[in-house]
Amino acid sequence: MPYDIVVLIKQIPDLELIKVNQETGEPITDGVPFKFENLSKNSVEAAVRIKEKNGGKITAVLFGNEKGTQVMKEAYAMGVDEGVLITGYSENNPVLTAKVLAQKIKQLHYDLVILGNQSADSMSGMVAGLVATELNLPLLSNAVSIEVADRIVKVSTATEKDVIKSEATMPAVISVTQETNEPRFPPVLQIIKAGKKNITTEQSTVKIENTSKIISKKAPKSERKRLIFEDVDKGAQEVAKVLKEAMK
Amino acid sequence: MKFLIFSDIEDSAKQVMSFLKGKGDFVLYTTEKGESLTKYGAQKIVLLTGKPEVKGISSLLSDEFSSGGYDLVMIASTVLGRDIASLFSGQKSIEVIPEIFEIKFNSGTVTTKRYGLGGKAVIEEESRSKVFTFLSGLSDDVPGDGSSPIETKNIPEGVVKILAIEQKKAKEVNLEKANIIIAVGRGLGKMEGIQQIEPLVKAVRGELAGSRPVCLDYHWLSEDRQVGYSGRTVKPKAYVALGISGQIQHIAGMRGSKVVVAVNKDKNAPIFQEADYGIVGDLYQIVPKIVSYL
Ligand SMILES: Cc1cc2nc3c(=O)[nH]c(=O)nc-3n(C[C@H](O)[C@H](O)[C@H](O)COP(=O)(O)OP(=O)(O)OC[C@H]3O[C@@H](n4cnc5c(N)ncnc54)[C@H](O)[C@@H]3O)c2cc1C
Repeated sequence: MPYDIVVLIKQIPDLELIKVNQETGEPITDGVPFKFENLSKNSVEAAVRIKEKNGGKITAVLFGNEKGTQVMKEAYAMGVDEGVLITGYSENNPVLTAKVLAQKIKQLHYDLVILGNQSADSMSGMVAGLVATELNLPLLSNAVSIEVADRIVKVSTATEKDVIKSEATMPAVISVTQETNEPRFPPVLQIIKAGKKNITTEQSTVKIENTSKIISKKAPKSERKRLIFEDVDKGAQEVAKVLKEAMK
Repeated sequence: MKFLIFSDIEDSAKQVMSFLKGKGDFVLYTTEKGESLTKYGAQKIVLLTGKPEVKGISSLLSDEFSSGGYDLVMIASTVLGRDIASLFSGQKSIEVIPEIFEIKFNSGTVTTKRYGLGGKAVIEEESRSKVFTFLSGLSDDVPGDGSSPIETKNIPEGVVKILAIEQKKAKEVNLEKANIIIAVGRGLGKMEGIQQIEPLVKAVRGELAGSRPVCLDYHWLSEDRQVGYSGRTVKPKAYVALGISGQIQHIAGMRGSKVVVAVNKDKNAPIFQEADYGIVGDLYQIVPKIVSYL
């Protein structure tokens, strides 16, 4: 039985390349290239695996900016059939993001909505539940494994203490984790082909009132000594001293 | 001020209750049976029984919030906690300030701190929000001598059907209490490598911990030994990172350590930026050397 899937994906600044402005202590994001967010790749991988087994169509929706086309092409190369890029993302705001995404999803045909549980940059962990609420769908969250059959989806969720197995009837929202799968690296030929595919681009129109205001956004302070030894013997002696002190 | 707390893990419940003591009244909603939770001054403890379906729990909390005269909601940032908070947020149309590690209550507003940009930034914000998810390590665990009454409530069934719950292995360790932590990363290369680290752990009477791949992906160590953003937050007197690259999500869990020691064969590894003492080289050579000088 084929299933149509909407995958929600995200572009994020390449966090490794963020430098700190020494004067203000603020991280510099201007000019930092964007990349395909880690868990978004796990989400696409999960969708593609379901498609490979059962058939169906995968539509990826990305709320970001114009640079998102690059990420969408990567998603195409992994096996996504159609992509919608919604521009107008400015600050991390899960409520707004969920509303924008839900508004689009409502216009599409789907049996499943798949997204990451906690993105690598903002890490809020809020979007899956908010999207499920907007769409009034069951939420199967933090899946470490997903099985589908006869319009029923079963997932295992690993909490801090237990592994919970649960199921819901489609349509449903599933959030995935880093442990769900190992995302594929698409072959070069597929990436070239993907470059020519059309991406539907729209501008977000959703507005909400912000209830919070940012007072400061600075790199965390680190006041470590940074005494680095390349002489292993000397280093080991010094470290032994430090550890003896800490044992007191 | 009156707080509604939800935590499905004992440690976070104890930490937040310790933190809120003297700041207002609070009621703890939990799925944890621990008798020890009654010693933290909660007005009452509501033990949630039945299957831990997130929609069911969020609906229950949502009703309690409306009828119980609560001002603010503090939800532990756990796998279930984050979902419950997001569903609660959606149901009540209240914005959540997620993943906070610091909070101050002003009159009418709240000032919080959380990480942004994957930990490359600390975002300090002021809001009128009423719902927060908090990271582990919000406060020390300081039990009192009260004894809160326990009440039970059944979790209503939701549209998601829970088929089975398997308990993971019981917790082995309380990293928060360790004086010295020896943490290993992917640089260990193999599970058997742990045997070669143990003499150091013993010699300093420390506890063994690990990065996320080591605990979660490879299971070289149990999950309760994971340090970092999605693991434990620790503040030992000395933290020794062996073969850990120092990704920001790891640093987030050990930043409060008094002294940080790093051993890594790559002299450009980011962990050296977060270390007081660093040794560049192979951990398998260096660890026995350190032991010999102790
Ligand atoms: C939402 C989210 C939450 C996360 N939460 C956490 C968390 O709580 N905790 C956590 O740790 N990670 C977390 N991560 C993952 C994190 O981003 C990193 O992937 C992880 O910390 C890397 O682990 P590592 O340092 O052990 O491995 P690597 O990054 O692979 O580093 C291994 C290091 O070992 C060194 N090395 C190799 N061999 C040797 C040797 N023989 N001797 C000495 N050095 C050697 C290498 O030079 C390298 O620096 C999270 C990620 C996300 C997206």
